[in-house]
Amino acid sequence: MTTAMLTPGVAALWLFGTFFLLMVLRVPVAFALGLASLPVLFIEPRLSPMVIFNTTFKAYNSFILLAVPFFLLTANLMNVGGITDRLVTLSRTMVGNFPGALAQINVLLSVFFAGISGSSTADAASQGKIFIEAQVKEGYDLSFSIAITAVSAVLAVIIPPSILMVVWGGVLQVSIGALYLAGILPGLLIGLAQMATVHVYAKLRNYPTYRRATIKEFLTAAAISVPALFTPFIIVGGILLGWFTATESAAVAVLYAGVLSFFFYKEMDGPKLWHALLETGKLSAIALFCVGTASVFGWLLAYYQIPKALLANVTSWGLGPIGVGFFIVFVFLVVGCFLDAIPAIIIVGTTLQPLADSVGMHPVSFAIISIVALAFGLVTPPYGLCLMISCAIAKVRLRYALKDTMIMLVPMLLVLGAMIIWPRIPLLLPELIRPEFLK
Amino acid sequence: MRKFIDGYARLLNWLLGASVAILVVPVTLQMIARQTGLIPAWIWTEEMARFFFIWMVMFGAMIGVREGTHFDVDVWPELKPRTNAVLRIVSMVFVLVFALVFVWYGYRFLQFGWAQTSELADLPMGWIFAAWPLTGLTWFLFGFQRLRRDLRIAIDGPGPGDEMDARGQIGTGSVV
Repeated sequence: MTTAMLTPGVAALWLFGTFFLLMVLRVPVAFALGLASLPVLFIEPRLSPMVIFNTTFKAYNSFILLAVPFFLLTANLMNVGGITDRLVTLSRTMVGNFPGALAQINVLLSVFFAGISGSSTADAASQGKIFIEAQVKEGYDLSFSIAITAVSAVLAVIIPPSILMVVWGGVLQVSIGALYLAGILPGLLIGLAQMATVHVYAKLRNYPTYRRATIKEFLTAAAISVPALFTPFIIVGGILLGWFTATESAAVAVLYAGVLSFFFYKEMDGPKLWHALLETGKLSAIALFCVGTASVFGWLLAYYQIPKALLANVTSWGLGPIGVGFFIVFVFLVVGCFLDAIPAIIIVGTTLQPLADSVGMHPVSFAIISIVALAFGLVTPPYGLCLMISCAIAKVRLRYALKDTMIMLVPMLLVLGAMIIWPRIPLLLPELIRPEFLK
Repeated sequence: MRKFIDGYARLLNWLLGASVAILVVPVTLQMIARQTGLIPAWIWTEEMARFFFIWMVMFGAMIGVREGTHFDVDVWPELKPRTNAVLRIVSMVFVLVFALVFVWYGYRFLQFGWAQTSELADLPMGWIFAAWPLTGLTWFLFGFQRLRRDLRIAIDGPGPGDEMDARGQIGTGSVV
């Protein structure tokens, strides 16, 4: 380790230089990360390309990452099994009389969906199909409809369960139960900020509303949805009570969603199930493959102690916890524009951890502000997946909905800023419910 | 040849879907064993889940090259179909370089594997490590098929049906 041939600076130049060059040439990110590691592996006499195999094997040989396909399968089962439809009805009886009713339903459904699924892209894909066309038909602007679908979808990784929290907990050794509890309040606040944004839009542009639902209609819709709404309590509660691990809780969610759609809502059949399984496999495998090559890249960064060199400057600025918080969020927002959130956690999260530790930032609060910033990266171009999916469903180019998306991001960024200034926002619930998780 | 590749892709699809379904089994068994004691707590369930998971990731990575769904970042303005095809050719050449690494060094990795057995179930690790060279070979197979099509588009321009999966359709590359 002490006698590496390349200096951190030269190694960083090779790694990042090759990576960005390949990325511009549209080489898929997973391959660009792996290929960018090759020159260094050949140059450094102590290393060989066998590092790629050992490191990817270690990355995939992980019980924690198993939660990724499970969470995605849960979301897919919900969509084909009729659970999502019930939640739409429930949302309508709750916020249908607000100005901009359909857009408010869009946000509220994302909150419910987030509590069951941990995948924002699954949320954007399913709600894009439900809402975008319907909203335009009722007189909403298309760019507004795309933007609100995309920004509300990011709630899925902030409100537990969350794929990002599982990965963060696994990679950086933080209690996933604590992260789940810490994500609830920020997620609800961001949801409220989005509903306020919709309200202002609706008032300015005279978006339509529905008649107020009767108490009876609400109670009927709620009764039908109760079994589905029970899912987050099973997942989070089961982890808190120590019944099962994060991965096992994801498997429980799969079984529960399967049972509900087969036996309770009775909308599932063989072909639908097979479709859900195959889609889950394709999506999760592609993302997870990238986790492997990102791990190789991250391993080399650590080998040359590049994070230390990069952060040497920042440490000398003498920032306090709030300054460091804003710096971390800034880095994740920029990185999130170009990189998928999971490799970003592996590469950047581990890089910034010493910095967060150095100012005494709580690991849980470091995790939550980073995850929220990365979640916002899902709607920022050029690589904002939720926005890409919503635009693809509406068959327009990404730029079309950019302005409205950026406007909607402002109140969300304010919530994020508040979380940095008052770390109690994320830490409050874990302190109340499970203080021992924060130790 | 085309028929063979299509059949092989169908088989991979089937294996991928099946491995997702199978993954749920050992994890469920593990929970039932711990919570109820109705079945013995087999220690290999966790290892079995991890090994199926590795194969699932690799099957999906193979199919991703065939379907062009490995996600990329687009920093270019709107391009003509032929320019897009040229860019896809360039990027595929790099993918194939990585495939070569997977085949060449993956074969050595596989040889190490036959000398090792897994910690819990005593399984030869070759059964797991084989996924890497196989993935590399499969990328070549699917990659050349796409290269041929993109070369034709670059030279003759897009024919009917080519625009379907030209750039612009999203690569659904993330689960987050």
